[in-house]
Amino acid sequence: MSSTGSQAQSQSQSQSQGSHSLAFRVMRLCKPSFHVDPPLRLDLSDLIAGEDIFDDPIAASNLTPLLDRHVANPTDSSDLSYRTRFLLHDSSDPMGLSSLLVLPQSFGAIYLGETFCSYISINNSSNFEVKDVIIKAEIQTERQRLLLLDTSKSPVESIRAGGRYDFIVEHDVKELGPHTLVCTALYNDGEGERKYLPQFFKFMVANPLSVRTKVRVVKETTYLEACIENHTKSNLFMDQVDFEPAQHWSATILQANEHHPHSNSQTRDTFKPPILIRSGGGIHNYLYQLKLSSHGSTQMKVEGSNILGKLQITWRTNLGEPGRLQTQQILGTPITRKDIELHVLEVPSVINLERSFSLHLKLTNHTDRELGPFEVSLLYDGLHEEKVVMINGLQTMAHCSINDLPFWILSIGKHSSEYANELYHRLQHLVSQTSIWTSLLLNLEFRESPALQCSTQERRNLITLCQTWRFSWIWTNLLASFA
Amino acid sequence: MASDPDPEPQSDPQTPTITDPLTNEFATLNDLTHDLDSLHELATRGSWRSILDKVARARALSFLRKPHEHLTYLAFHVIALSKLRRFAEASAELDTLDDLDAAHYLYQTYPNIYPTRSGSMVPFSLRWLHALLPIKLGKRQLGLDRFYALLDFVRSKLELKDGISGNIWKKREGFVINSIIGHHLTNKEFSVCLNLIQFLLSSDPSNPILISKLGYIQMQIGDLESAKSSFNRVESMVETESEVELKNLVNRNKAMVYMVGKDYVSAVREYEECIERDPMDVVAINNKAICLMYLRDLPDSIKVLESALERVPTVALNETLVVNLCSMYELAYVNHSDIKRTLSNWIARVAPDDFDSSCTRI
Repeated sequence: MSSTGSQAQSQSQSQSQGSHSLAFRVMRLCKPSFHVDPPLRLDLSDLIAGEDIFDDPIAASNLTPLLDRHVANPTDSSDLSYRTRFLLHDSSDPMGLSSLLVLPQSFGAIYLGETFCSYISINNSSNFEVKDVIIKAEIQTERQRLLLLDTSKSPVESIRAGGRYDFIVEHDVKELGPHTLVCTALYNDGEGERKYLPQFFKFMVANPLSVRTKVRVVKETTYLEACIENHTKSNLFMDQVDFEPAQHWSATILQANEHHPHSNSQTRDTFKPPILIRSGGGIHNYLYQLKLSSHGSTQMKVEGSNILGKLQITWRTNLGEPGRLQTQQILGTPITRKDIELHVLEVPSVINLERSFSLHLKLTNHTDRELGPFEVSLLYDGLHEEKVVMINGLQTMAHCSINDLPFWILSIGKHSSEYANELYHRLQHLVSQTSIWTSLLLNLEFRESPALQCSTQERRNLITLCQTWRFSWIWTNLLASFA
Repeated sequence: MASDPDPEPQSDPQTPTITDPLTNEFATLNDLTHDLDSLHELATRGSWRSILDKVARARALSFLRKPHEHLTYLAFHVIALSKLRRFAEASAELDTLDDLDAAHYLYQTYPNIYPTRSGSMVPFSLRWLHALLPIKLGKRQLGLDRFYALLDFVRSKLELKDGISGNIWKKREGFVINSIIGHHLTNKEFSVCLNLIQFLLSSDPSNPILISKLGYIQMQIGDLESAKSSFNRVESMVETESEVELKNLVNRNKAMVYMVGKDYVSAVREYEECIERDPMDVVAINNKAICLMYLRDLPDSIKVLESALERVPTVALNETLVVNLCSMYELAYVNHSDIKRTLSNWIARVAPDDFDSSCTRI
């Protein structure tokens, strides 16, 4: 009973002319492995004497030289025994990792992103020389037929009886599903007949990984969580997992700092714990922080689907055998278009009671139409005083009460031509409504703009008004609402 | 059977020694235990079946007088059965012993035989086999649990011992840990292996062989950068006056780096340097053959292995090398059963009893 070893399933078809002088032998040449086998080898002292015999000083001093005379020395060429199969030589021998390499013993599994490498040997098992051999090797998949080797331009002149012609082919696996390695030979046999030998070796390509992503947006930052799951039969060493952001995006990977009990400065270089994903369902998570590198002025944000980028994954298995895959484009959540943005520009770090302070806000209108009015109100608990909020660029005023606490809302509009007058009347009205003298902090900008054109007389009236009344505002919570 | 004549042991004024050869119980192995010299000789030749016969005979004819002799013979018996892959019988034999910590396995229980000695007379290998055998019988978890328990046992002994005895127990701790690493490695439990090797290195940081093995594990995982850095560490430890073994280690490590980079020509060159320095470096020989194959040179790779078997059979004859050679035969010959049978017949004549001939896949 002969086993197929590492040969793929072979189905050879011969022509009606009969048997062939040539035959293909194929062996998958993935990387070899280190042979691991904890050996049945001992230290002589653990076999021929009791474990506590060395507590006896007489025994200890006499036994040691006796044992030394029988120690295993593998480089002694005069020793023709199998001593090294019985006795240990180095303290690490019990590990069974001698660095002896062993050839792949079975075809194994092959995955998308890996490289298929095969040794192909064509043998002449007949008693006659064959001539003008044209050899071809191709990979046939569901979608295409790829040529790996073709000696048509320079055919092998002859293969003698019992001789052989060898070659090694490589193919980056980029498709899933059934693949066939098709080896064909066109040759003149011993009788001068032109013969054609095709041989087929089938194998299946499976998917090694699946990647699940989650996108979360927190304020200005988008977080991308990628979970890689290993569907292969080996542990995968994640050599490189890089997120390639799309245009206008920048990405940084977020990693936890791990502390290891045994690492010290001496060992830290050789001991960086590798990212290893366990075979058959193991997972590893990656977290990326993405920011839109937006340019200040050109603001119009693209609505709809939002391409963030893609993941490039390189893994390695046995002895560094590489595999490479790229994900599809990863989509983020569509950016919700905000018509209006409110930013707090400046707020004092210390606020004193009964002293007014100013709060700088920036209100940006992203649309191309007029929006308003902008209302600012106070959320209040506890105090029963009337409070007022005053805003630069006063436009309208409204009165409302929350929890039966009267307070005034003054709101801003745009370009009111009766700006100053309006202000005057509003303030008068306000003052007549209140019963408490408070100080008024007017943060009015009398700029040279149409909205604020007022006569000198009006201006003087306003200033008098300001000096007469003093309003103070105590801010606790500022609640801004806008349409 | 007369024991071999032996020169008088050197007497060192510092350590107490017995200078009278007539009462020296450590002059030769036979003085320690009945016919131990022969048992040892058979073991080094791999004649495990003969050992089974010998043990049976000694027991039947009551050659064994002292308690420790029974234990030594039992240990050889269990090992022989294990070597012959008769693990169930080995386990049964081991079970005939009671609890290994029982009083009748202590020296002080027999003061007239061992007047100056106290402690356990159980050979440590029996404890090790007690942990190993379940793994060989397919009960991996039980075996591993026993190994970890054995490690605790060794560590508790280490706390009480010092001097020569302390060193021996320290060596045993390493023995057990290395065995554990080996069993985790077989199951590809790489993270545990890395942690355990780090532990070993913390008390033995300049051990080039151990660091090389760390490198091999890193390479097996696929972490090539870490492997290279481990090998660089080893290279920095070796100088021109270093032993051949160490120099070859550096060359073989370099060859592995070339190999994973697919530079098989340079790898072959490194291995040839090793073989020139030490013609019995079977790892270099085997790995060189593999590189030749990846260089599309199947005929030469076969030649390298065949000539090694012919030239240095006692070192070259190992199951891995034979597996590789048979794989090469299967690729090279359409009718490979003939050539494999020739190999198999030669092995049957030359190999030790414990050689696993299923590796020829005939």
